[in-house]
Amino acid sequence: MIPRGVELPEVETVVLANGLPVHLIRTAGQEVARVSLVWAAGSAVQTAAGLKPFTASATLNLLAEGSTSGLSSHEIAERLDFVGSYFDVSIDRDYAVATFCSLEKFFAPTLEMIGEIVLRPAFPDDEVALYARKRMERLAMERAKPATRAREMFSAALFGDGHPYGISSPESDYMSLGRADVARFYERYYGAAGCFAVCSLGDDSAQREALLALLAEMPCGGTAAGSGGFPEPKSAARRVEQVEGAVQSAIRVGRLLFPREHPDFVGMQVVATILGGYFGSRLTQNLREQRGYTYGVMAAMVNLREAGYLAIASEVAAEATGDAIEQIFVEMERLRVEPMPEDELENVRRSMVGEVMRILDGPFGIVDVVIENIQISGGRGGSREGEGSARDYINRFIAEVESISPERVMELARRYLGCEGFTTVVVGRE
Amino acid sequence: MNAKIVIFAGYRVFYHIFAQFFNLMITYSQHTLRNGLRVIVHRADGGAMAAVNMLYRVGSRNENPERTGFAHLFEHLMFRGTRAVPDFDTPLHKVCAENNAFTNNDYTDYYVTLPRENVATALWLESDRMTGLDITPEKLEAEKRVVVEEFNQRYLGQPYGDVWMLMRRLAYKVHPYRWQTIGMTPEHILGASGEDVRAFYERYYNPANAILSIAAHLDVDDMLRMAEEWFGDIPAGVAPVDVLPQEPLIAEARRLEVVRDVPATAIMIAFPMGTRTSRNYYAGDILSDILAGGSSARMYESLVRQRRLFSSVNAYITVDLDPGLFVVTGHLLPETPVSVAEEALWDELRRLQDERVGDYELEKVKNKFEAETVFGELNVMNKAMNLGFYEMLGDLELVNREVEIYRSFTAGELRDEAVAMFIPARSATLIYSKS
Repeated sequence: MIPRGVELPEVETVVLANGLPVHLIRTAGQEVARVSLVWAAGSAVQTAAGLKPFTASATLNLLAEGSTSGLSSHEIAERLDFVGSYFDVSIDRDYAVATFCSLEKFFAPTLEMIGEIVLRPAFPDDEVALYARKRMERLAMERAKPATRAREMFSAALFGDGHPYGISSPESDYMSLGRADVARFYERYYGAAGCFAVCSLGDDSAQREALLALLAEMPCGGTAAGSGGFPEPKSAARRVEQVEGAVQSAIRVGRLLFPREHPDFVGMQVVATILGGYFGSRLTQNLREQRGYTYGVMAAMVNLREAGYLAIASEVAAEATGDAIEQIFVEMERLRVEPMPEDELENVRRSMVGEVMRILDGPFGIVDVVIENIQISGGRGGSREGEGSARDYINRFIAEVESISPERVMELARRYLGCEGFTTVVVGRE
Repeated sequence: MNAKIVIFAGYRVFYHIFAQFFNLMITYSQHTLRNGLRVIVHRADGGAMAAVNMLYRVGSRNENPERTGFAHLFEHLMFRGTRAVPDFDTPLHKVCAENNAFTNNDYTDYYVTLPRENVATALWLESDRMTGLDITPEKLEAEKRVVVEEFNQRYLGQPYGDVWMLMRRLAYKVHPYRWQTIGMTPEHILGASGEDVRAFYERYYNPANAILSIAAHLDVDDMLRMAEEWFGDIPAGVAPVDVLPQEPLIAEARRLEVVRDVPATAIMIAFPMGTRTSRNYYAGDILSDILAGGSSARMYESLVRQRRLFSSVNAYITVDLDPGLFVVTGHLLPETPVSVAEEALWDELRRLQDERVGDYELEKVKNKFEAETVFGELNVMNKAMNLGFYEMLGDLELVNREVEIYRSFTAGELRDEAVAMFIPARSATLIYSKS
């Protein structure tokens, strides 16, 4: 009933003359193509380098707003929209990602725009100004949500207010951004040395060659991942923002642990799932099903390049705030002192394996898995051997999840879930 | 590629290629069991995952106006266990499955994704909860609290969280679309009784009011046989017929202004439009895409980029069985007066009435519908869900015909639709001002 290992297409890695590793996945018969480019150019990079707030996200978001070959942002958008292709970006503290999806049939015109967007962005002054203005408004709107403020406050409490992983900046800082900031950031971080590509394509070898030829145009420069010079994080135990008349409190509880290469990382992913990673989880059963304090609660291990942490998040009825926090600690304590029933652990294992299979359903999921695999290995997947294929990574993950025992869960809980070192953040009423 | 690129050059050829290219269809087989359950199965071409979708034709439209939010509360209760299976989720976790559900105005949809060899587990659990639901007063009380917290989290504790509550009340006066699926107020949810639960279950949760769809890399006959095996013994039911009050057209422009503690003022203008299968619905969908589908669309280009009146804009239609709404909306930049912003939204609507949409722009929107149809059917879950939805519409074949319907619109017909739809006297305008 439970699949042993998963079927995955082979991933082929080509290292181009400029040093860019391109990971190619053949998905024949799907009629769709996807190209993702990942740069080690997340927001922590800008903070660590002493650059202006929002530089990293602005650079990524402005890539398609005009090219040096003379296309305006509107023309670029038109050309992608006309063939139904789409372009999307995402950024976290470590990485900036640009993704293009198209019908296979329209790969050629899409590829042309990938060149305009990724290799020839112009960052026109008026587009930078418009962007800054829009984003300032949008961030103010985001921050009107208690959950957003709790998330930002939690990062700051966990790492320290000025730490690259903890800092958040006032919206008004957008207005100090100019073209030069963005253009410099692009020059410095968007070269091949800090980048890798993951692409899923059909069988057409001409498409493949055209893609490789285009990506070979990426300049060699750029800064390789691996920042160093990160300050030691300093966690605060507790922070509260009182909100008069709030109907709910946004709660965040967690602690710093370790980055993904740590031998206990997958084990702690299992522990986090037991606590709040699926519907049968201890916290969901306790806070939602039994007490009705919340619509939802989740727990997860969060992966960053230089750190990793356990985070538990929920929005709870304001009057239940104190008890909800207490119950979170009660559930962690239970894992430390009571052996976990084998039956429950089996449910957790299967939920986690099922999740992997769900991610892999459809032609695009494999790309996400390959990206994550390479990020976990800490590099760019540049060498053909050594860092292991996505299949090995997934099958290792599944094997470890499958083999985890109740004793191991208790050992991890005893090691990492004591009250020491935990940070609690509340936005609402306490 | 170094030369300046002229935007339309080289693209006209695709006008034709597009039309020839797509013959991607969802294939399906259909069967109705003796008890009235409609079954649709799709054989997926490979893939380890299967999706099982169960749609009940009941939504907030069927609610007692004094007990709004009940259909959605009931959806939550469907996960609270039966006489035979007290814990719904555990058997699913054991077979690597994930499941969830949603409720909207018109229907309630339950879905499970799991490895294809485990499909029977999903069918067993769905058939079990079609008849054996066991809701104690304690379970009901606990679930009411969860739903009230959902209400708080998603609607009351969020900036702009009550926008749709206000707009529905403004645009509808008699039809049940005048309230949101979550309900008009948490008091309605707290007032639900065990008797309400029993009556609702009996009336709406029976095979004749349900549609089962399965998408998996499995043999079609095997899937149909499994459906018969798990559901064939359930006693026949009657599909209930609720006669709903139909909304008269808005006769005089409606307007509501509220002041809230939000960072930016928002404007929303809504117009009544046709039912889900009417030609007017598709026209509304195309017109909203011309205005706001993708970053090359008109409203963003004109109102955000050029005139710099808004920080964001949007246009969309509500997807409802009965006459829904066409909506244009935006968040104002702080220096933009409300009257100017409102007039600017009208400028865009009038442009659709005064000028025919150009060939290129129309083609772009049609192409996008085709591409989105392909992107939207890449995994088994979406396929199963789509099949259930179109069967509910009463025209399953439509699942493969919609692209052709979009293709059939001409610029002239779209202009006529815009003229008929965007009438000031038929509009409902919500001004949501920051304090």
